[in-house]
Amino acid sequence: MRSRAFENAVLASPLVLFLLAILGFPALLSLVYAVSETTFRTLTAPRFVGGANFAAVWADGAFWRAAWFSLRFGAITAVLQCALGLFLAVYLYPLIRRHGWMVAVLIVPMIVAPAMMGLMYRLVLHEFVGPVPHYLYLWFGWSPAFLSPANVFATVVAAETLQWTPFAFLLFLAAYGAIPQDLREAAMVDGTRPWRLFWRIELPLMMPTVFVALFVRFIDGFRVFDNIYTLVGAGPGGATTSLSIYIFETFLRRAEIGKAMAAAVLLFLASTLLFVAARALVLRGREGRG
Amino acid sequence: MALRWAVFGLAALLLNFPVIATAVTAFKAPGEVTRNPSLWIEEPTLANFAAVLTASDRLNIYHHLGNSLVAALIGAVLPLVVAFPLAWAMVRRGVGRGVLFPVVVNLRALPLIIFAIPLYMMYAAAGLLDTRLGLGLVLAVVNLPLAVLLLVNAVGDIPAELEEAARMDGARLPRLLLRVVLPLCRPAFVTAFVFGFITAWNEFLFGLILTTREAVPVTVGASFFFATAGGGVQWGMAAAVMVVAALPPLVLGLVMYRRITGSVMAGAVKG
Amino acid sequence: MAEIRLEGLSKAFGAHRVVRDVSLTVADGEFCVFVGPSGCGKSTLLRLIAGLETASAGRILIGGEDVTDREPYDRHLSMVFQSYALYPHMSVRDNIAFALRTARMPEREVARRVAEAARILRLEGLLERRPAQLSGGQRQRVAIGRAIVREPKAFLFDEPLSNLDAALRADTRVEIAALHRTLGATTIYVTHDQVEAMTLADRIVVLREGRMVQTGTPRDLYERPGDVFVAQFLGSPRMNLVPAAAEAEGVRLAGGARAFAAPWARGPLAQVGVRPEQCRIVAPDAGLVAGLVRASEYHGSALHVVVETAGGDRLSVLAPPDLSLREGEAVGVDFAPEAAHPFAADGTRLQGG
Ligand SMILES: Nc1ncnc2c1ncn2[C@@H]1O[C@H](COP(=O)(O)OP(=O)(O)O)[C@@H](O)[C@H]1O
Ligand SMILES: [Mg+2]
Repeated sequence: MRSRAFENAVLASPLVLFLLAILGFPALLSLVYAVSETTFRTLTAPRFVGGANFAAVWADGAFWRAAWFSLRFGAITAVLQCALGLFLAVYLYPLIRRHGWMVAVLIVPMIVAPAMMGLMYRLVLHEFVGPVPHYLYLWFGWSPAFLSPANVFATVVAAETLQWTPFAFLLFLAAYGAIPQDLREAAMVDGTRPWRLFWRIELPLMMPTVFVALFVRFIDGFRVFDNIYTLVGAGPGGATTSLSIYIFETFLRRAEIGKAMAAAVLLFLASTLLFVAARALVLRGREGRG
Repeated sequence: MALRWAVFGLAALLLNFPVIATAVTAFKAPGEVTRNPSLWIEEPTLANFAAVLTASDRLNIYHHLGNSLVAALIGAVLPLVVAFPLAWAMVRRGVGRGVLFPVVVNLRALPLIIFAIPLYMMYAAAGLLDTRLGLGLVLAVVNLPLAVLLLVNAVGDIPAELEEAARMDGARLPRLLLRVVLPLCRPAFVTAFVFGFITAWNEFLFGLILTTREAVPVTVGASFFFATAGGGVQWGMAAAVMVVAALPPLVLGLVMYRRITGSVMAGAVKG
Repeated sequence: MAEIRLEGLSKAFGAHRVVRDVSLTVADGEFCVFVGPSGCGKSTLLRLIAGLETASAGRILIGGEDVTDREPYDRHLSMVFQSYALYPHMSVRDNIAFALRTARMPEREVARRVAEAARILRLEGLLERRPAQLSGGQRQRVAIGRAIVREPKAFLFDEPLSNLDAALRADTRVEIAALHRTLGATTIYVTHDQVEAMTLADRIVVLREGRMVQTGTPRDLYERPGDVFVAQFLGSPRMNLVPAAAEAEGVRLAGGARAFAAPWARGPLAQVGVRPEQCRIVAPDAGLVAGLVRASEYHGSALHVVVETAGGDRLSVLAPPDLSLREGEAVGVDFAPEAAHPFAADGTRLQGG
């Protein structure tokens, strides 16, 4: 039995050591820097300032605007993606069952780097070279300024939604395909119409997946960085500053290392809280439906 | 059915619009890009690709592609190596199920920026800043949750009787793991590798913060191209850069698109 | 080949005691069958012997050596699993050779032994196939092949036939018996099927709730079951049990017309067991007990008649197939006094029975 404990330690050690090296040590560092004043020139000599960095973050209106942006962005994109993904999965299922390649066509956006997608939107929305304004002018004689302060939020929401709807789509496709066919047949023999079949039988059976999809998509929207950063950066007047972008700017642009670290620690706590809460919700939803 | 096909066509066009438009632009001559923003190419040309693929000082695409390839390979393979023994120990002996597993899965939910800054500090001290190895190591962290989930599921799907048969056949732990468990987990390894490679190749934030010259991956390199083109972006070339940069994961992902479904599912099942 | 000895072996999963104080010696070369209803702990007992479970108490000796604390691979046994547990990613050849290669046997010797096993089990044409490409019966033979190539000290089988259809099961049963005669290896075989137990075993061990209830040859157990559980577990249709009492003139069944003499007609007698095949249908007043026909099933070789007595007891009778009976018809049931098994109220067999 002693040898079994030894074996278990050996089996677990690669992962544990790797995590400790790559995350454990930096985690300690970030705690140290979060309570210190540092610049890039004084990296090795942080000066202890106690909770000053946290106080500075807490008092920073930009931090709270970024938090509000991330929450809103995560929630709205998650709902849009799930609605669209669910529709596509259910509506196209009869076709996809016979033509598997259709899935490949629809998941292309998730295989493209989000950063690259942001750059592509720069091209696509560009007022002189972009096809979108071009066609809007051609057909309607009018095109909005996509990246203006008034429209930029809608633009990044649309970009994120169009890129990650395929993810939700895949989840729903699998969940829909997993519904036992005899259940549908039983309902149809009982005279259930397709619409009612969906609302009363299929959707309730897919509810656990709906929760999971909302949850996963919210998390990814909440921590968004790449596509917004490459498309508009912090945005006009900071209009698209997500928490990730806020920390990045504080760190690299303004070189306020201690403050960036403090914000990162706060973000870590908030994410963990959100994760635990959402996970509990998802698990409860799953149990509730057996 | 016709309506369904129409919806499919519309969805495919809408979702893939930026990709399609970029690909089209990449085949337009510099003059045509500004004159004709439509999706119709008047005079298709390979000039943009020729320019991009001719290494220059301003943008050596091969350098960036090489960086991305090495870092993505490290980032896709390393998680499998460290996760496999643990996954077995977790399924068969409950090792790490209480703390390690939730912690690793939780990593999936954390904004990457949280790791990026302290890692910058550590890498600066350890000489890993602006190295392919350093970039690959953090990408491995990004891929770790999925690797653990997929392998735990895969080991859990192996009937216990099969491993017992191997033990009766005299196999001790190393042989059991390498000759019986590992081959049976092969589909999970392939799935985790495909998705991990794509994720790692597509990663941007760490490339932005942790590399500056030598190890800059192609996602970041492509964005430099947009920023540094004095006197306006050369759209045709920029589009060609993006096509080239997006091609490796796209080819892998489309050939193996069933694997993508598998990995999305696994991530969701344990959420 | 070796003798296997269990001494006071017990196993508990938490508070759930699954195997309780089993002591037993399986002689060298013996074919021993553990039989009992599902969940009685047969598999657990077998896995204790294999080393796949660790004992809570007691000792296991193989060939005189105490192996209680040894890992499975150091016990030199081989096992055929209920699911066969073939390695799906290996060919039949590699499946059979796996254990030999694990032991680093020279490749020529491996090839020779695999060929020998394949010949015995008629697997020659299948060696390059994967398990998924085999039928159930073929998989089963590969599993046996994997067990025999190693020339182990003993074979362990856990319900090896339960995944086969009825016809194949009968054939394979015959093959396993033939294999045992050829190899002469010590074998422990677990089943819940009394027919397998009766036909294969040199010795049967009947288990119930983790305890050994009775052990002996199939004939011993069939002819002199130690209690009503064993009596009813072995034999099909199962043994009739009728309340009975010892009287001055002998034994009288509940509601019986007459008594019969028996040496064990004493006070503690509470019930009499009699096998359906030893009962006869007679005229209503000619039998030991009378009743009404409740059902009669035609089985081709026999007629299975269920008779209900006035007291509500039901007896099964295997009658000649040409007998014709109506439901509700009054009949008598008769049997020879020697065919009766006497049991006390607690179900144990009476001395002298
Ligand atoms: N690993 C285990 N943990 C807990 N209980 C077990 C375990 N294995 C078997 N049992 C219990 O032990 C009892 C006997 O199981 P088993 O030996 O498989 O019975 P059999 O093979 O006779 O059908 C059952 O009640 C079963 O639920
Ligand atoms: Mg069993």
